[in-house]
Amino acid sequence: MTDAQRTASDTASKARGFAALSIPDLITIGVFTAIYFALVAVCTFASAIIFAGFGSILLPALCALVAGCGPYRGRRRRAFRFDGRHRLRLDPRAKLFLLLEANLLLFCHVNTRTEALLTALFLLPLFLSGRIRSGVRFTLIYGALLALSLIEPPTEGRGAWLAIFPMIAVGIRMLLPCLITGAFAFTTTSPGEFTAALRRMHVPEAVIIPCIVVIRFFPTLREDYRHIRNAMALRGIPSGGGSPLRHPAQSLEYIIVPLLMNATVVAQDLSVAAMTKGLGNPGRHTSMTDIRIGIPDWAIMILCALPLILFLTGVL
Amino acid sequence: MSNSPTPPIDMNHIVIDSNRIAFRYQTAATAQSADTPPVIPAALDDVTLTIPHGEFVVLCGQSGCGKTTFTRLLNGLIPTFHTGDLTGTCSVYGLRSGHSSIEEYAAVVGSVFQNPKTQYFNAFVADELAFPCENAGWEPSAIRERMQEVASSFGITHLLDRSIFRLSGGQKQRIAVAAACMLRPRLLVLDEPTSNLDAQAMADLNAMLAQIKASGVTIVVAEHRLAWCVDLADRYVLFDSGRIALDCSAERFRDLPERRRERWGLRALDMTPFHAAVRQSVANAGQSRTDAAPLPANGTIQDQSASGTAVIATRGLTVGYRETRVFGRFRRRRPDAAAFSRTIPDLTLHAGRIVGLMGHNGAGKTTLVRTLVGLAKPLDGGILRYGETASPSELTRHGFLVMQDVNYQLFADSVRGELLLSTPYRDEFDAPEDVLQAADRILADLDLMELSDRHPMSLSGGQKQRTAIASALMCNKELIVLDEPTSGLDLKHMRQVGALLRTLADRGKAVLVVTHDEELAAQWCDEVVMIRP
Repeated sequence: MTDAQRTASDTASKARGFAALSIPDLITIGVFTAIYFALVAVCTFASAIIFAGFGSILLPALCALVAGCGPYRGRRRRAFRFDGRHRLRLDPRAKLFLLLEANLLLFCHVNTRTEALLTALFLLPLFLSGRIRSGVRFTLIYGALLALSLIEPPTEGRGAWLAIFPMIAVGIRMLLPCLITGAFAFTTTSPGEFTAALRRMHVPEAVIIPCIVVIRFFPTLREDYRHIRNAMALRGIPSGGGSPLRHPAQSLEYIIVPLLMNATVVAQDLSVAAMTKGLGNPGRHTSMTDIRIGIPDWAIMILCALPLILFLTGVL
Repeated sequence: MSNSPTPPIDMNHIVIDSNRIAFRYQTAATAQSADTPPVIPAALDDVTLTIPHGEFVVLCGQSGCGKTTFTRLLNGLIPTFHTGDLTGTCSVYGLRSGHSSIEEYAAVVGSVFQNPKTQYFNAFVADELAFPCENAGWEPSAIRERMQEVASSFGITHLLDRSIFRLSGGQKQRIAVAAACMLRPRLLVLDEPTSNLDAQAMADLNAMLAQIKASGVTIVVAEHRLAWCVDLADRYVLFDSGRIALDCSAERFRDLPERRRERWGLRALDMTPFHAAVRQSVANAGQSRTDAAPLPANGTIQDQSASGTAVIATRGLTVGYRETRVFGRFRRRRPDAAAFSRTIPDLTLHAGRIVGLMGHNGAGKTTLVRTLVGLAKPLDGGILRYGETASPSELTRHGFLVMQDVNYQLFADSVRGELLLSTPYRDEFDAPEDVLQAADRILADLDLMELSDRHPMSLSGGQKQRTAIASALMCNKELIVLDEPTSGLDLKHMRQVGALLRTLADRGKAVLVVTHDEELAAQWCDEVVMIRP
């Protein structure tokens, strides 16, 4: 690299508000964040299952992410259905607000009444935006869990062990608002809209770029994992569902190492693709989608915020 | 592309002017592929080339000849991203390498790369198309307008709301070309764009490039498969170890004897003879199959006399997969629960024979081979191993699949360790003498002896492929399936793979090759099976 080139790229990155990180660095950060997320998600869920009641503070956020990963799994032909003008389309920022509130709900230890009311309110936009099937599914699950957790089992005697079911029901029920808002936020918003929202909120490009890469890299990670499991089966290395638990060190070596190897290659290819398309442009970056917070967004946000405020002030 | 606002430029106007360019990559780590040897010779050496506006230039030559390096010079990746020692001057539409930033290049030069899997930055098609315009700071309405214009001119409107992960390799490559055209570039640079494509996808790409060329864009393609763009090329430039060995017009190049192009390591300009040979082979196979069909019991005996023993045979096999859903149980089962299914004509794989498996993308080739090695369960019908029905796990024990991306299949920290991993002895020091000797014999047979202590990830693509095959030989697999072993290879390396297939067959393995490569199928396969969707 000539000196002239170096100063040119330096001034370019300075103009963007991050002196040290270049585009390839940011992309690498995104790729490895995705791997980190996947590992943390696997470990958190595994530990939540093994040690019931082991509540990680990451759990609600992860629940929201997992509930919303449907379109990103790349299975469905059309990922986001935006047909029908009569359907409600909220601004991504309003969706993020709902998601944040659902997470807050878990930390505030609200009473069952407030929680049920808020869950009903969270389900409302899901129905209005046309995701009837998942709305019905969530309603049924929540209803069943609510009913189960309201049963009062005998506290002593032979049937005392039955108390574990309402306990588990309460645990899952408390996570459901996160799952619902997560599913709503991530399955009805395309990555492009999210990027637009982040740009409107004046989030620096140094944060936006890794976010786009994380979304882009999750499906790749899934494909890679499948390939590696297949390769392990062909080589006669134990690769069944329970093998990570039975041979943790071996699984770590044989799964994580090829994953990381591939990730570095992908990070480099993505950098090349992004740089030749001008991602490093020092000027303002725009978004294809126009987003605007309108009356429905304000209405939903106020409606959902109200019960929580009432609870916190002690009215409800 | 039709109403491009670029001012008309005189066709003889020189727009790419490289003068005595020499370039050497800095370290092996910065070079993109592992194919670069540790001691790096100059990637480009004294290259002087001028290209006038609107010309379609094909840069050809063997792998590592410098053609890819030259394309990186044209789109500004050198010296910003791929760093190294650059001397000489190169100007592309007024942008001077080493002085203009890569962002300035992005506005003028569109780039398409080799691997359709990793060259898109967004997860969805519309976002990917909008991406260059967003970076350039266009207004939202202008971006949407331009996207509709490009999508309708290339006939990809129906793909706009899809996830790119769902697209076939050919569709991905069309999206890549469309995205490269969004900013109305003056120059389009393509680096081996067809290495993962089938014949139909190559024809689609050809049509797209014809359209782009007609709109007055200069196009530079680095490629060693020449047949797909023979009608578009105006000029061929042959690179040889970093230097320009030949620079001539398309007419002159076509008139050269095929022998000479072969000596330069180039793939055939005319695929007709190979195409005919493949068709003939398919027809022959179909003939023998209809002969054998009425007498299946006799058929196997006949097969034995004709060639080696039948290792794997399929009977009424239907392959496919079912859609898996997290909440699948809550949904009513539809009668057509399979998301994808294909009925495969009966197929017999003999020891010592190379069978080519061809067919368009989406014909079910990959699913079939996954079923044959036991990674997927057949939906219907059965697979016989030596005449007896075999379970998927049995097939996995006795079959091996060399994946297209062989990186996933290498786990150990040395080539020899890779072979020992297939044995009960995990370590070189635990293994008894006879196992080590067996491993050494296989290494010697596959030309891997000098590399036996190298880390598998430091090897070139072909060496990795051989290492994976060696590991399969070590555990005495009977069936070896290779998925697209020659994608992106020049003539020399394609022939090496062909010879490798023959070695495997001579060791008594049943070999099945999934390929789009008609040259490979025609020259090295004993039989070709065509699968039609």
